[in-house]
Amino acid sequence: MTIFGAIGVAGSGMTVYRKWLDAISDNLANVSTVRGTDDDAFQARYVVAQSIESGDGGVQVAGVALGSAEGRLVYEPDNPLADDEGYVRYPDIDMSSQMTQLIMAQRGYQANAAVVERARETYQAALQIGR
Amino acid sequence: MSISPVSALSAYLPTQAASSASALSALSATSGATAAQAPSFDITGVIDSLQAAQSNADALAVQAVTGDLDDVHDYTIAATQAAVSLELTAAIRNKAVEAFTEIMRMQA
Repeated sequence: MTIFGAIGVAGSGMTVYRKWLDAISDNLANVSTVRGTDDDAFQARYVVAQSIESGDGGVQVAGVALGSAEGRLVYEPDNPLADDEGYVRYPDIDMSSQMTQLIMAQRGYQANAAVVERARETYQAALQIGR
Repeated sequence: MSISPVSALSAYLPTQAASSASALSALSATSGATAAQAPSFDITGVIDSLQAAQSNADALAVQAVTGDLDDVHDYTIAATQAAVSLELTAAIRNKAVEAFTEIMRMQA
């Protein structure tokens, strides 16, 4: 453990939660992105977190998992992208699930920010010894 | 630069240091420290880590104003680390100066 071990670990957590927020915002922005049935649907992005075993520890993003390329087939004959049978491909993204994950990512980020602040207060309490 | 007021003091008081060594060794047997191995540390290492923390915070501040910063918390965390390091260095310096002036006040 280095001198700022707790702050560094919490910082790695904040980075992961920030990337999760990025992925969710991308998913929500593309929730109505329509593709033709010949193409793949927009694939939802899911951040894969992985613990860091070396050094102080922490967490990092191991990669991004993609959602279904199949998507949902929706009957929209008026859509210019519709095929001969009138179907288009919508992404298979559940809005309520994304909103729940949004709250989890926000709270996780805030929790790690709170850890940084508490660690700072703790170090400063150590500096007050003997004053 | 090496600050070791305790070892400097014991150099002037060899007989008392030797007599207190036996008393201290009984007290500090668990920690493994004896009066013969008076604490001495190198403050340049502390200064170097402070310098590194300040440089890191400065570099991230430049990234923030030029729009190259990926994470806002990277800068704020680096700035916090630099600030705490500076406070730690100042605390060590104050304690060292305090010990030095305390010794300088001594009279026979």
